[in-house]
Amino acid sequence: MTASTVGLVGAGGIAQVHLPGWLDLGFDVVVHSTDGRARELTDRFGGRAVDSMDELLDTVDIVDVVTPTDTHRPIVERAAAAGKHVVCEKPLALTVADSAAMIAACSRAGIRLFPAHVVRYFPAYTAMQTAVAAGRVGTPAAQRFFRIGSAPKQPWFREQARSGGLAMDQLIHDFDQARWSAGEVETVYATRTGDESAGPTTVQAILRHSSGTITHVNGVWGRPGLGFRYGFSVVGPDGLLEHDSLRYPVLQYDGLADADQGYLPPVDAASSPYTAELADFARAIRDGGPARVSAEDALEAVRIATAVNRSIDERTEITLDTATSPHTGDDREGER
Amino acid sequence: MKVGIISFAHTHALSYAAILRDRSDVECVVTDPDHALRPAGESGGPALAESIGVGYLDTVDELLAWRPDAVIVCSENARHVDDVERAAAAGAHILCEKPLATTRQDAERIIDACDRAGVSLMTAFPVRFTPHYAELRHRVQNGDLGDVLSISGANNGRLPAERAWFTDPVLAGGGAVADHTVHVADLVFGLFPGVEAVKVFAVANRMLHADREAETAGLVSIEYSNGVTAVIDCSWSVPDHYPTWGGLTLRVIAEGGNAELAPFAERVDGFSETDRAPLWLSYGVDLDAAMLDEFLSAVAEKRRPVPDGRDGLRALDVVLAAYESIATGHPAAVARSA
Repeated sequence: MTASTVGLVGAGGIAQVHLPGWLDLGFDVVVHSTDGRARELTDRFGGRAVDSMDELLDTVDIVDVVTPTDTHRPIVERAAAAGKHVVCEKPLALTVADSAAMIAACSRAGIRLFPAHVVRYFPAYTAMQTAVAAGRVGTPAAQRFFRIGSAPKQPWFREQARSGGLAMDQLIHDFDQARWSAGEVETVYATRTGDESAGPTTVQAILRHSSGTITHVNGVWGRPGLGFRYGFSVVGPDGLLEHDSLRYPVLQYDGLADADQGYLPPVDAASSPYTAELADFARAIRDGGPARVSAEDALEAVRIATAVNRSIDERTEITLDTATSPHTGDDREGER
Repeated sequence: MKVGIISFAHTHALSYAAILRDRSDVECVVTDPDHALRPAGESGGPALAESIGVGYLDTVDELLAWRPDAVIVCSENARHVDDVERAAAAGAHILCEKPLATTRQDAERIIDACDRAGVSLMTAFPVRFTPHYAELRHRVQNGDLGDVLSISGANNGRLPAERAWFTDPVLAGGGAVADHTVHVADLVFGLFPGVEAVKVFAVANRMLHADREAETAGLVSIEYSNGVTAVIDCSWSVPDHYPTWGGLTLRVIAEGGNAELAPFAERVDGFSETDRAPLWLSYGVDLDAAMLDEFLSAVAEKRRPVPDGRDGLRALDVVLAAYESIATGHPAAVARSA
């Protein structure tokens, strides 16, 4: 099928990059948001605001869910029931069970589900993963990932019950990367310091992979004004790959007054990883092939993040519970 | 001042000998009695002393009979205790290579021997002498960063291939965890006077240099009595042909902002067409020289050097807890310092 209209559900921070992304790719976009901010968004970027989910579902071919995480499941299931392909912002859900149920619902409905794990489309990570997959460092022995920035300002991020906190909302990117380069994770150990509900907070996690690889992930939701910074180090018997987002700037400013850089990394519209991600999903819908990241990958990232939060609470190492498999539904269209 | 060095087993001894050779106020003599027992091809003994340009004596007894004011112990980690006990009994002030020992009992024997003999005991933690570390510590203790939440540290280096004993768990007390955790652990202790490590969780593997007996990669998580947490990557993960030996980094995450310390970052980058390899021209303060200066000044001024033997012991306690955690797969409590 040729999908030409996208229904964006939600009008928050990520909507501000997804909406222009879809428009750049030539899609018509309608936006619905229960917070009443849809029109503000469409006035700024384009597209058309609609007043209800029913109206949105009547209009579109693809639904893009960019709402707070705790609302993903009912919206995705509703879109699936309406027969729409779904793009869902990460994390897919707050639990493995919800993630599996969403995957099963989409499978039953015969539609595709794509998780917006955008870091898979950041070129530095892509370059690293390609090199690792090509065997250029051998099997990774030790990996480090870090993701540092000021805490998001929207209050719901600070509610563990809505966002899953720093580990679930932000470090899920790095859990996904760690698993992409070094394979399945078996155990996690993590600590958190600071007040996750209000003040600066940081999570330190240690992952053990089935391959024997050990991974360190460090994330920070820091004070306002803390610059966004991310990077990694992946080392194996045959080589070392490392990256720091601040190390090799293409364009630098100095002396400007605006210090608050927000919680998303600055991206150039023309080379935006967000647009590349949406383009990959659109292509996968068009040709029926796999996207760079699957809903099953997203579920595994949720599995790691929930175990990290459990390790923080129980103050000990947690073995991942693999009892809940994503493959509980029927075979899905587009599965390879 | 007469300074003896016991053993070229730890190759830091080569750096110390060269620094002392160039100090006009120091006479330096080395003994390396076990050099003939080293694997073929490993340097040592009178030939190495001669190539550096320092004096040489054949045995520890001869070295101590020379009546050194101070002795630097650079033998294999498990042999520190015997060498320190002999040198301290002879009245020499001691600088002991890190880790202080391979067991808590040996470390306590080292501390007791120096206390009994009334001599100073310093543990060789040269990174402490990074001028920027002093600034960071001042700002942390001054509250400029607000409350510190957590620290990410990495001390990565090449496998110390010039000496086989580094990967002999008996002589070294382990592998990368024993060799590299202590530097970062000591820097963290130094930021927070009076703080204790409470709980350690560690993982390790032998995937790098898999022919070696000891672990070559490790991650060590530490919780401190002030609520701060730290994770240290202690891996020997710098490739053999990398343009430098390795380095150390410390990210201090605090409520008022973050600080990143990279004591070995200063360099000129380049590329050698002759070598077909990158050029990496390190510069900056010679940390070994700064550390030796503190040791010799403390000896001359009859004061306690910093970091001392207890600093060496508390860093070792973290290492020992890390090995316990690696063995059991569970977090380990850190022994309480006496």
